[in-house]
Amino acid sequence: MSRIWPENTQVLVVEDDAATARIIQARLEMEGLKVFVAWNGVEGLEILHQQEIDLITTDLMMPAMNGFRLVQEIRDLPPPKGRVPILLISSNQNEQDMVRCLAAGADDYITKPISAQVLMERLWRMLQRASAAG
Amino acid sequence: MHLPADLVFRILIGGTLALGLLLTCLVLMGAVIQYRCDKQNRHRIALYQVWEKDLAAFLFNASGTARPFPEIAVGDQFIFEKFLARYYATLAGQEAEALRELYLGLGVVHDSLPGRLKHRKANVRAQAAQEVRIFHLDDQLEAVLPLLNDPVPYVTHLAAQALTRSGNLRYAQPVLDWVLREEQYQRERLLRVLEGFGPELLPWMKVHLVSPNQYPEPWILYVMLVGAHRHSESQPRLLWLLEVPHLNLRVSVLKALIVLADPTVYPRVLPFASSPAWEIRAQAARALGVLGGPSAIPKLLSLMADQVYEVRRNAAQGLADLGHAGISALTWVAGDAAADRFARDIARERLEWADERGHQ
Repeated sequence: MSRIWPENTQVLVVEDDAATARIIQARLEMEGLKVFVAWNGVEGLEILHQQEIDLITTDLMMPAMNGFRLVQEIRDLPPPKGRVPILLISSNQNEQDMVRCLAAGADDYITKPISAQVLMERLWRMLQRASAAG
Repeated sequence: MHLPADLVFRILIGGTLALGLLLTCLVLMGAVIQYRCDKQNRHRIALYQVWEKDLAAFLFNASGTARPFPEIAVGDQFIFEKFLARYYATLAGQEAEALRELYLGLGVVHDSLPGRLKHRKANVRAQAAQEVRIFHLDDQLEAVLPLLNDPVPYVTHLAAQALTRSGNLRYAQPVLDWVLREEQYQRERLLRVLEGFGPELLPWMKVHLVSPNQYPEPWILYVMLVGAHRHSESQPRLLWLLEVPHLNLRVSVLKALIVLADPTVYPRVLPFASSPAWEIRAQAARALGVLGGPSAIPKLLSLMADQVYEVRRNAAQGLADLGHAGISALTWVAGDAAADRFARDIARERLEWADERGHQ
């Protein structure tokens, strides 16, 4: 399915596993999106402050600042940064943590192993919903 | 015996030289080994950097046409297999299929698999079993099966994972036997491996296991598996096992019912609070707190005077779990000079515990 992403759409990928980060980055760049990779929540917040980020994907289990804390920190920010759609990416074993993250304000989740098609579809829908909400 | 001074001197000189030579050899050997390792690492990193770019182009080609992956040198195929395994664990769908095809194209790696599964080195056997699991090589499962009896625990663990990951219940019995051969304390951890068979494992166990009256051990695993997942069938799967007069099985069923936390089973649990076995009374006390509501308070109060500490502690915990009504009962016991001394002590302890956690 071909999608026409808005020009200059920027995605922040917060992921401590290099292989996963590279795969996500490669897939997003194939769609023409600009990708920033952070290795933990602290780096992710720094990039979010410096750049105009439209979408965020984040892992749950990370050093320094985990996905749950990151979601909380982002949702505490004033808009528009505080409203950037967040997609959680985690393994099935972290079901409880995932529920906590969704309750803290994450928009959606997918589980590892990742299907690139599902990933893109979720991101696309999140962006559409965010655009519709203004 | 007296040795001449010059001979002693010569021995000392000779010994020092020999020691020095040995030391130099060891240092040189260490340096050579380090150099080789560094060289291999640099080679591996350089390959990874090239392959990462190639893999992105191979998997996500914007033009939509399939781009072949560059040829892998025979000497690098085992490194490439490890590289692929990392990415294969991350991906699902058609990308995962594409990676599997790449793996199957590695002649040296794939063709040597049967030999590596029987290799004398444990790490080679383990790596081979892991390959079977990661890349879903179902045609190799029969060769993996003997590894369940491997003397090295991590090899058996990886073999079991390969067999369960296949989802083929033909291997359920040998894997179950392997889990039952492990120590009791290990079994809970090994449930995760069994879960690899998927939801069909429980119905299979119910049909194929020997009656719990004859051999209850596998049924304890069954109960632990049922308790690990909420399902509409979970309670019917558990309740009938309460009738089996086996201590550990009943304790396991009560534990699972606590996890499932359905108050409708309270009447079935209540009689176990009077069991002659303290292990059962202790679990029943915990269960009453989770399942019972205020009607469980009288029984829990009587269990707080039990002669076994674990029962008293669980009864007090059960009251704390009941919320306001239970905490009131604990407060009453703690302040009642006529109450049993054990009950008073444990009530005070639990109230402090609840207070620390803001339960009041």
